[in-house]
Amino acid sequence: MPLVQHPVGRIVAAVADAAERWRDADFPPRVRALARIVERTGYAGEVVEYALDRLFQPLTRDALTDAITSELGRLEVLDRFVARDRLPALRAVPIGRVCVISSRTTIGVGLWPALFAICAKCSVVVKDREDALIAAFFATLADELDAIGDALVAMRWEGAAGSVDLHAFDAVVAFGSDAGIASIGRALAPTARFIAHPGSLSAGYLEADAAFERGAAAALAESIARDVLLYDTEGCLSLGLLFIERGGALAPQQWAHELAGAFARVTIEFPPGAHDPAARARVAQARDAATVRASGGSGAVFSDPGANALIVLDPPKRLPPALLPRTLEIHAVDAPSEVAEYLAAHRLRLQALATVTARADVTAMGIDAGATRIAAFGALQAPALGDRHGGRPRIADFVRWVTRDA
Amino acid sequence: MSYARESRALDDELLAVIARWRAGRTLTDGDFDDLALRIFAYQLRYNAPFAQYAASLGYSSRALPASWQAIPPVPAAAFKEATLATFDPATSVLAFETSGTTRGVGGRHYFDTAALYDAALLAGFDAGLRRDGARLRYANFVPNPAERPQSSLGYMMARVSSQFGDGETGWYLRGDELLVDAFVRDAYAACADRQPVCIATTAFALLHLVEALAARGIALQLPPGSRVMETGGFKGRTRSVARAELYAAATDRLGVAPDAIRAEYGMTELTSQYYDADGSLPIERRRKVAPPWLRTRVVGPDGTTLPDGTVGALVHVDLANRGSCVAIATDDLGVRFDDGLVLIGRDAGASLRGCSLDAEDLLPR
Repeated sequence: MPLVQHPVGRIVAAVADAAERWRDADFPPRVRALARIVERTGYAGEVVEYALDRLFQPLTRDALTDAITSELGRLEVLDRFVARDRLPALRAVPIGRVCVISSRTTIGVGLWPALFAICAKCSVVVKDREDALIAAFFATLADELDAIGDALVAMRWEGAAGSVDLHAFDAVVAFGSDAGIASIGRALAPTARFIAHPGSLSAGYLEADAAFERGAAAALAESIARDVLLYDTEGCLSLGLLFIERGGALAPQQWAHELAGAFARVTIEFPPGAHDPAARARVAQARDAATVRASGGSGAVFSDPGANALIVLDPPKRLPPALLPRTLEIHAVDAPSEVAEYLAAHRLRLQALATVTARADVTAMGIDAGATRIAAFGALQAPALGDRHGGRPRIADFVRWVTRDA
Repeated sequence: MSYARESRALDDELLAVIARWRAGRTLTDGDFDDLALRIFAYQLRYNAPFAQYAASLGYSSRALPASWQAIPPVPAAAFKEATLATFDPATSVLAFETSGTTRGVGGRHYFDTAALYDAALLAGFDAGLRRDGARLRYANFVPNPAERPQSSLGYMMARVSSQFGDGETGWYLRGDELLVDAFVRDAYAACADRQPVCIATTAFALLHLVEALAARGIALQLPPGSRVMETGGFKGRTRSVARAELYAAATDRLGVAPDAIRAEYGMTELTSQYYDADGSLPIERRRKVAPPWLRTRVVGPDGTTLPDGTVGALVHVDLANRGSCVAIATDDLGVRFDDGLVLIGRDAGASLRGCSLDAEDLLPR
């Protein structure tokens, strides 16, 4: 029976059941995938283990159902026309063929969009990476429901499109650089939906009026460190830029010290990956340049001889953020308006903004800067399934609405 | 001794080193060490930001390093942060802007005399590209100093063209535009004159040139003795091709022999340059060599020298950097061998994740 004829509840159950098997750290396909991901990305095993937990833990039947109903109103609307009071009956039919092109760095970033497209009963092609994580999960999914196996393809190809004819898809989800996104966009049919996730960065704002109990500063610093060090600061939800409001319980310099300690502690949990020499050289170069500045009395730098992590306090605002592995740049500010000025000056668009209190003016600044998520420190890299990544819905992009008033 | 006399004395020594090298005599290890340490000590006296940095690492006039390898290198990025000169920049005779491709903001390398700069670059070019002493017609796909005087590459090729050219130098880069048709016209004229040509170009411009010639269906046959100096890699570019592929395309479209295409490696923060030692080798086996007053260590992130054959970042000690910083740490990667340096990784660049370089920057230095 083709996928479109299966009730959505059955598809959701299959996805949730497959995810449950992958939540088991000893599940052999996961163990094999983990080894391949470590080899491909160079991330430490602990980091990949954490990433896989983050990928599969949220995929429960209830969470999937909640995410879908939050966007489409009711789950059944994917199976049949649903009557509505004083409105035409409504049905969400699959948009058609969906292609998901994932980026190099973030582990399994293409999986959730692919699964929501499957829940929308689309046929899906995913650009997999060398670790074949998505192909391996699809195999588990096909065990749960044959029809899903027929509708899903995970494959590898080079470049944005490779041998895949992007023009043939009704919707394309793409994660990647601005240049890659532009190239993909040019290859699509004019009627295709393009769900583009171009490069962006995430920042944090530490409010001066955030209340801290004794010892809380160290805990907060560890949360911030986790947002920086997890995935070696390579994802769009990684924290590479922190703005500390002056006048708080701790001065920016004290926070920098606190963070240096937290970096050392969190590094035990999330050790550095096998950075390529070029990345190490860039971090070392940034560290030494900051040391030159600090020796002249401007700012401060906290790092180590191996350039495994770097904190730079008060780099020149005329410079854009370095966005280097395991590197945090801290700017002391008096108000969120200074952040807005900095981001505008460097034409930077935020993906997410981490804060302590989500104060109104800080939230407003984040929204104005393009952020689609305001998060707590420590949770920046753990978006919920019901989140709107990049400001886009999870499933609504994969359906076409049909009304029936006859 | 006054600053002026001290500077002139050092310059005289350096100019003598260059002249001796041109006459076939190299610089001994001991002489290099001695000169490097004296220049470093001089820079501690007159280059305040460098001295402050060195002091933060434990070096001062009273605590000098034991050898040239221990001179604390200034990161090239620091040229964007501070004025690194032994003199008042207002009195500089040359000022070159460093690349802004990695973080969008450039710095400046100042010179208080052109004599040392000119002597170093001309001697290096002679050894790297003009061992036959040929008088060439220069076709420059690098910034014209008349348009962009802050380009060290443009300045270098202006001096080379003026010193070693046949008086018919062409400049084929205007802003971001390659003047392909003008080049083709002049190339045909050179063919008619049987005048060998030297094309000086960034890798990125060379790629555009060969593509433009292919689009026009043009395959030139430049006169025997013609050559190409390629520099710059694709740092900060959104497009790149393998160097072997680029050289093969250039050979096809320009009609120059494969061994007549040689890479130059330099940077605005240095005064001297590296060149491919032997163009007849396959590209992956080519080594770059420097004049004897420029030495390079390959280092790990902690700054310690790595064994030969190991990939690491390059730290250059360029004695001709008398007026700025004698030791420069880069994020360019390379490997040292007995017979020279292999430069790798420069093409990868330090791209900004999270925001893109909006404009293609044709000018790497």
